[in-house]
Amino acid sequence: MLHRQSFLRLAAAFLLAPIVASAAPAAGESVWFGVSGPLTGQNAQYGAQWKAGFDLALEDVNANGGINGRPLAYVFEDSQSDPRQAVGLAQKFVNDKRIQIELGDFSSPASMAASPIYQRAGLVQLGFTNSHPDFTKGGDYVWSPSISQADAQPLLADLAVKTLGFKRVAVLFLNTDWGRTSRDVFVKAAEARGAEVVIAEGYQPDEKDFRSTLVRVRDAKPDGLVLISYYPDGALIAGQVRNVGLTQPIAASGSVYSPKFIELGGAAVNGIYTNTAFFPDEPRAEVQDFVKRFRAKYGKEPDAFNAYAYDAVVIAAAALREAGPNGDRKAVRDAFYKIKDVPSVVFGKANFDPQTRRVIGVKSVDLVVKDGKWALGDAKIKAAVASVR
Amino acid sequence: MHSSFISFFDYTVNGLIIGNIYALLAVGLALIFGVSHLINFAHGSVYTIGAYIGWASITFLRTPLPLTIVLVVLGSGALGMLIERVGLRPLQGAARIAPLLATIGISFVLDILVQLIASPDPRSLPTQLPDWRLHIGTGTVGALDLLIAGIGLGSAALLFGFLRFTRLGWAVRATAQDRDAAQQMGVDVNRVNQSVFAIASALGGLSGLLVGMYYNNISPAMSFQATLKGVVATVVGGVGNVPGAIVGSMLLGLTESYGVALFGTPYRNLFAFVLLLLILVWKPNGLFGRKRVLPPEPLTGTFIAPSKPWRVPAWLLAALFVAAAVLPLFDPSPYLLQTLTNSWLYAALALSLTLVAGTIGQISLGHAGLLAIGAYASSLLVLDLHLPVGTSIVLAGLMTAAIGTALIFPAFRLRGHYVSIATLGIGEIVALTILNWESLTRGPIGVSGIPPLSLFGRDASSNSAFYWAALGGMVLLALLQWRLLRSHLGRTFRAVREDEVAARAYGVSPDRYKALAFGFGGFAAGISGAFTAHLYSYINHETFTSQISILALTMVILGGLGNISGALLGAVALVSLPELFRITAEYRMLIYGIALLLLIRFRPQGLLGTV
Repeated sequence: MLHRQSFLRLAAAFLLAPIVASAAPAAGESVWFGVSGPLTGQNAQYGAQWKAGFDLALEDVNANGGINGRPLAYVFEDSQSDPRQAVGLAQKFVNDKRIQIELGDFSSPASMAASPIYQRAGLVQLGFTNSHPDFTKGGDYVWSPSISQADAQPLLADLAVKTLGFKRVAVLFLNTDWGRTSRDVFVKAAEARGAEVVIAEGYQPDEKDFRSTLVRVRDAKPDGLVLISYYPDGALIAGQVRNVGLTQPIAASGSVYSPKFIELGGAAVNGIYTNTAFFPDEPRAEVQDFVKRFRAKYGKEPDAFNAYAYDAVVIAAAALREAGPNGDRKAVRDAFYKIKDVPSVVFGKANFDPQTRRVIGVKSVDLVVKDGKWALGDAKIKAAVASVR
Repeated sequence: MHSSFISFFDYTVNGLIIGNIYALLAVGLALIFGVSHLINFAHGSVYTIGAYIGWASITFLRTPLPLTIVLVVLGSGALGMLIERVGLRPLQGAARIAPLLATIGISFVLDILVQLIASPDPRSLPTQLPDWRLHIGTGTVGALDLLIAGIGLGSAALLFGFLRFTRLGWAVRATAQDRDAAQQMGVDVNRVNQSVFAIASALGGLSGLLVGMYYNNISPAMSFQATLKGVVATVVGGVGNVPGAIVGSMLLGLTESYGVALFGTPYRNLFAFVLLLLILVWKPNGLFGRKRVLPPEPLTGTFIAPSKPWRVPAWLLAALFVAAAVLPLFDPSPYLLQTLTNSWLYAALALSLTLVAGTIGQISLGHAGLLAIGAYASSLLVLDLHLPVGTSIVLAGLMTAAIGTALIFPAFRLRGHYVSIATLGIGEIVALTILNWESLTRGPIGVSGIPPLSLFGRDASSNSAFYWAALGGMVLLALLQWRLLRSHLGRTFRAVREDEVAARAYGVSPDRYKALAFGFGGFAAGISGAFTAHLYSYINHETFTSQISILALTMVILGGLGNISGALLGAVALVSLPELFRITAEYRMLIYGIALLLLIRFRPQGLLGTV
């Protein structure tokens, strides 16, 4: 049993902790954005990655004059990616006059449940991981700088079919709105490039055992596997592929790109190809600057979700600057129609399509895991893999 | 033919390998159930912590495998003793439902603690065994597979020996058979309980370590699935039966594997839960449960404690209602209004559950399934059949009542914990059906563009209008339920809850009354789900998770089972508390969990008492 006094002391400590933590060096009054995302619960890991990206971007923005001279700051509220809490938070942000723009939520059910509230109240919702095709249909205040799967999956099909020469493709996909959308685009793109998709198996996000699925895949006699996965499940699948006697080459969607993919997959992920919009060794100045500062601040390698979060803040800052020192929320929305060529780690230069309210196009680099490290998938490695096969 | 036989063989081996893993979990659960008659929902959390203890000792102390195992066994065993001492022993004598809720609360707190200490990121847990593989069929079996099987069988054998040949083992069996008699014979029942928790938790922690190594992946989120699969395996084998738990696990593994083979990966869990239901209906005590070992519960109302309810005076209820009704006129913050709106929607769900779980004694762990049916029904009626929104909500309520009652009907002969497990399975089956019935439900893509609420042809999507609609709907349901319970129906419902045999002897057909309760409960839950769909505008199979079922049950138990005002209070409290605790940032769910545990500790019969 906790004594009442010590409980109170504990409670007081909890109450004070966030206040102390968020004290920022301010030059004038801050410009705020709100974040609704998972800090606890099943998706908490992604919220933590967001936070790292946000904080780094904030340093950058504030070191370079902030928003028209005022520092940028944010409130991160934990939604657990639960739609019920996300709608409550939406009301909270909408009613908080400081908040000029909102970022998140993580999952489609939570983000899209909150959209009507942001749209009605006229506060921009920038859903930067929301690739659901209907997300931005929520209204003209709903924008997304997430990579559109309609753009990204054809590039994966290029890698799998044109570069790696898969003729009979087996697809394993995360059976969520994201994975399913991606699968549909990929299958179409792969078939347009002359390959046949012999089997497509959807698995649940909490699935850990893939042996039986992989036997099914084996029996379809593919000559290559394509994983539409995130890094934890992608690593799990890779770890089990060889155990059921499959030796075909594997290509995975860019969402597996993470140092964690190699940590969790171990030797089993060697030789897996992916094409990703974000790769730390890419020589572009934005990327190198981001990677260098990320390593210095956190002492580890950034991954794709860190980069998405970083970019989202940079884009939000660009819109807030464009809206002007006295811009209201509507001016922020209008700014999204005006901002051009926002420097971006993921896109190079981010430009929104005013019709879809999504960032146009995506670039990508081909990578392969070589000796436990991500490496550029150059022609020599491809030839080597082809000859092994 | 030849190649299909090879595949069949591979599927069988894979099924046994995964069954092997479930067995480690199921044995511990079965042991605890055998002695304490308690489904330990904290088992998955112990399993997670075991994995993390292993990870920490390998990473920081660089321990070799045998020492790692010893540390994990000791650490998780101690944790088990702590759980028994702090969480469960103080609840002795309280209704059996209180410890069940306590294990849910403990699991909640433990999971958050792991996440706070070890970060939510998944970590790798490399196996310390040699990379040696045996070729079986076209696949391979590794050293770790054999170690897991060895530890599973070895621990079962050890347990068997312990229970049969040691004095403490005799005491455990005596306590399992008749706790009071054992105590009278001088058995220190508390010590027995504590030993059982220690042994079961040590096994649970060990399985966490081994499974973590097997997949080279541990994360704080691994606990819920582990509990779920472990419970299913245990129930299939017959709760409280250790060898049965092992066979049940293998059967579960095989069913999943063959399910994947026949219909594809998305159907895997669907098969697992259908198997669970079939076994429950066919052999309600599990495959190996002997009827005599488990007294059919509750014959004397022990599952739900009788208590003197605190009657909320009518004037207070009326005043609260008036206050709630006029609130939007005073221009409150939309955040407050939204939180209360959510509370009203959950209150309707809690009303449904308090009727089913409290009044007629069928503890349901699958109520989120009813929400989902209501939500999809209303959305699809509007989008596909172009019905007006208000009509669709009422129809959705009726459809949920019909579908929900039909789904639960085969489980009417079950009692006590088995009802909970069956409803848990039904809830999962509903979610998985939604996922797979793409032509109707649009599968994982979900239903988007659900029109906002409008009633009688007028837009009701503004914050206040929605608030009033939700409040009004909820209050109507509450009044209807109150009227229902004051009639002879209420008495009959309670008679069925207290003693089904006696009720039958008085000429009451329990099935008919259960159907009536589930029908009414389904209606309320369906209405709540339908409102939610029009609030969210987008739903998919993940919108109504099994966590919601557990949350709803917590609300109902917290308020007092069968207690209408209690259900409303529970809903408002559990929707608002996490919002109030927002100020404590990342600690809010921890504080919420601890608050919940304290409430169970001091008001095991619920805040307002069982009716």
